[in-house]
Amino acid sequence: MSHDSYRALYIHIPFCVSRCNYCDFTTQALDSASPVIDEYVEQLVLQIRKKAKEGELSKIDTVYIGGGTPSYIGSSRLSMLLYTLSLSLRLEPDVECSMEANPESIDERLIRDIWALGVNRLSIGVQSFDDDVLAILGRAHSGLDAQRAIEYAQERLDNISVDLIAGIPGQSVESFAKSVQKAIDLGVKHISVYPLTIEPHTPFYKQVMRGELPEVDEDDQARHMEIAEKLLVEQGFERYEVASYAKPGYVCKHNCAYWTGLPYLGLGRSAATMTQNASRRMRIQDGQVTDDLNKAQMYAEDIMLRMRMSAGVADTLVAQAADELPQIYEVLASLEDRGFIEHTDNAWRPTELGWLCGNELYGDIFDLAP
Amino acid sequence: MTDPTHIRNFSIIAHIDHGKSTLSDRVLELTGTVASRDMQEQLLDSMDIERERGITIKSQAVRVEYTADDGEVYQLNLIDTPGHVDFTYEVSRSLAACEGAVLVVDATQGVEAQTVANAMLAMNADLEIIPLINKIDLPAAEPDRVRAEIEDGLAIPADDAVLASGKTGVGVHDMLEAVVYNIPAPTGDANAPLRALIFDSYFDAYRGVVALVRVVDGSMKKGDKIRMLATNAEALVEEVGARRPAETPLPALSVGEVGYLVTGLKDVSNVKVGDTITSVVGGVNEPLPGYREVKPMVFTGLFPIDGDQYEPLKEALEKLSLNDPALIWEPETSHALGFGFRVGFLGLLHMEVIKERLEREFGLDLLATAPSVEYHIYKTNGEMISLHSPQEMPDPGEIERVEEPYLKAKILIPPDYVGAVMDLTVQRRGTFVTMNYLSPTTVEMLWEIPLSELIMDYFDKLKSNTKGYASLDYEFDGYKPSKLVKLDILLSGKPIDALSFIVHRDKAYDRGRVLCDKLKEIIPRQMFEVPIQAAIGGRVLARQTVKAKRKDVLAKCYGGDISRKRKLLEKQKAGKKRMKSIGNVEVPQEAFMAILKVDE
Repeated sequence: MSHDSYRALYIHIPFCVSRCNYCDFTTQALDSASPVIDEYVEQLVLQIRKKAKEGELSKIDTVYIGGGTPSYIGSSRLSMLLYTLSLSLRLEPDVECSMEANPESIDERLIRDIWALGVNRLSIGVQSFDDDVLAILGRAHSGLDAQRAIEYAQERLDNISVDLIAGIPGQSVESFAKSVQKAIDLGVKHISVYPLTIEPHTPFYKQVMRGELPEVDEDDQARHMEIAEKLLVEQGFERYEVASYAKPGYVCKHNCAYWTGLPYLGLGRSAATMTQNASRRMRIQDGQVTDDLNKAQMYAEDIMLRMRMSAGVADTLVAQAADELPQIYEVLASLEDRGFIEHTDNAWRPTELGWLCGNELYGDIFDLAP
Repeated sequence: MTDPTHIRNFSIIAHIDHGKSTLSDRVLELTGTVASRDMQEQLLDSMDIERERGITIKSQAVRVEYTADDGEVYQLNLIDTPGHVDFTYEVSRSLAACEGAVLVVDATQGVEAQTVANAMLAMNADLEIIPLINKIDLPAAEPDRVRAEIEDGLAIPADDAVLASGKTGVGVHDMLEAVVYNIPAPTGDANAPLRALIFDSYFDAYRGVVALVRVVDGSMKKGDKIRMLATNAEALVEEVGARRPAETPLPALSVGEVGYLVTGLKDVSNVKVGDTITSVVGGVNEPLPGYREVKPMVFTGLFPIDGDQYEPLKEALEKLSLNDPALIWEPETSHALGFGFRVGFLGLLHMEVIKERLEREFGLDLLATAPSVEYHIYKTNGEMISLHSPQEMPDPGEIERVEEPYLKAKILIPPDYVGAVMDLTVQRRGTFVTMNYLSPTTVEMLWEIPLSELIMDYFDKLKSNTKGYASLDYEFDGYKPSKLVKLDILLSGKPIDALSFIVHRDKAYDRGRVLCDKLKEIIPRQMFEVPIQAAIGGRVLARQTVKAKRKDVLAKCYGGDISRKRKLLEKQKAGKKRMKSIGNVEVPQEAFMAILKVDE
């Protein structure tokens, strides 16, 4: 089908130094010298060139190199990748170019190289600054490593984000709050707070099954998320999405593309691509179509995803969607009655309840066009 | 017409899983009735559910021609009987159509409760019993021990027991020779007025009610006018024949023969199992012995999860009861569950099978309430009511006394487990009657136990407390007074009729407490707090609280996560569909069965 231009590019690096206990992402623990990684990066380079030639990269506004652990593959492979990108698309300072990194594989040289080749936003997988909690998670770094990594990065890069995990069994409220505060004190501009989910086929899952690890307590998770919001908002961050907090001007444009229905191209193993035009949307992963949506379903999905954001769903979008989703007003009214959303400044936005119990909220919208 | 001296009518009887159906299949194969390439495992079990569960629910009769070693051709009628205690009456009627029975005992398991029960039924019917030790091909087979158990426990000589394997076919020929030589030919008067025993009947959409019959005296043929003695229904014989196993029309069924009869009648309740058929003209008035009305023992409320399925459920029940006179039902209204039916069954297995058929064959989503029994309530005004549903329990002030059905239960176990069975059964209000050693390795315990306790996962518990060794058989023993009360369950302060149940007063507190705990686990968190209470009258015995949902959002939602999230929301939607909204509380189906899983 003829499709709208891609606006965001995602590149997946499925390699890590070791697999963490909670991880179900597409990644594998491999020696960093392995030729498998070289081969993979070469393939990526070829694909990027191919897409560039086909003109698919001409409208890209954001690039995100995620993983796995992109920093784990080292400076020279990353340089090759970034150099290819700079030849293939407009990688100017106004184009957001994010890369994920883990503390144990960040050093001054790596930071310098990626900065020089156009990375202007670094997302660091800190998860916690508490060594006991890091040990439970099976992370390959200490709290001090994380702090140092942030400090190295800040020498060149201004836009630093850290990921933190909330509601880990064995993690006290104090420990979690201290980690949030530590990140704020270090001056990062963006913080993502993810409540832990225990996914099948992970070591955590097996531990829970064997009774060695308590199940995730949703009350603890809710409490942690509330504490994070309080601390962060008090200290100048805006919660612009369920799990995302940013200082003014530091919202992650790439992630917003996912939540506002902009088409994206994913390259690399298991990376999702979303191709669409005005009446049809498809998501493709490893050559398989995972979703094929009609216009009504597209609207419902856009509304559902925007309900993750503080910007919410503008009245104008609701009005457009109403042609395809005649029950939309009724459902919004019911959600408002039940306290999940509120209407302010010409938009429907999630309330605190709507953020915490999002699945109830999203479920009702999803059901408009299942 | 076959000379009765060359007819043998027999059953194969066994404890469940001892290999009865497989042996029957081998008989069909060996006699060339069914070519082995057409063999489907357990050919005689015609329903999917029967084949899947490896049990027989309806009786079957198949006729085979067997050329014995003496060179003569015999007509053998093999009547396959239901293999479950719920259907004891049907078994007894099938046996009454025979002169002999092959008693199958598993060479690894030995004599079990239904072996004893079926052997007793066969002896009471004066049948010639041929013991057969099955599965001798298994490494764990102990034919000598089993032979001793048959002799000591059942007082059946077992020196000549046939050693067989339904799996390999070994011994099947020996069995048929034993059938020909040991089982007597049918006796009966070919010239006397017609008397035939109905041992099964079912409704066929094209031909009306079809009965499986054994002709005791006289004969019948197409065009004869017949009458059923118990129901007084009359019919014209539209066809008679035998199953080989496909139905084969015959000119007549005469004395001693077993076959099928097409009546054209529309209502299966006119053609009841155990009833006697005679001729309208010149018939008899004296029925064959043993007929009784089949009465349901276990009752449950069946409600469509989706209210729109009420009519389809009604039609499905109508269709199933065409074939199953033991299935009775009446409309029931529940405040919590809406419109549905109170349905009576012969027992728990019968209930499960019917529920499964309703869901599978008719595509219905059903919610079943906890099974109950028929209580007799004697009111202070002298009136007696039969209570099928806890909802109908009158106020305590109006009740003079309550009686509940009791069973005589027979449990067979290795001696090591006597203590375990004792503990469990006493806890379930059982009264110990006596105990006999059938053999050094098998003890028979006799109990009196309320049916209401037995239908509460008693059998599962019995099995697990005896490492699977126990086998159970029971029969109805009459009504006895009990101190019974109705326990109500309240959600968010409102009594939920479909969750209330009747319980012995001394157990009400414990059951109420445990049930509240259980429901707390089963009912998912809602957007608000849900208190769960157990109460008798206005008195609250126990309370638990399902806390309000705090968080259900999953944080990461990038790229491919969105597809995953869609799947999750679809699943969430499907999950909600399986729940019943009661007031504003979403209650999963298991909640209504929770009372059955209450461990004290």
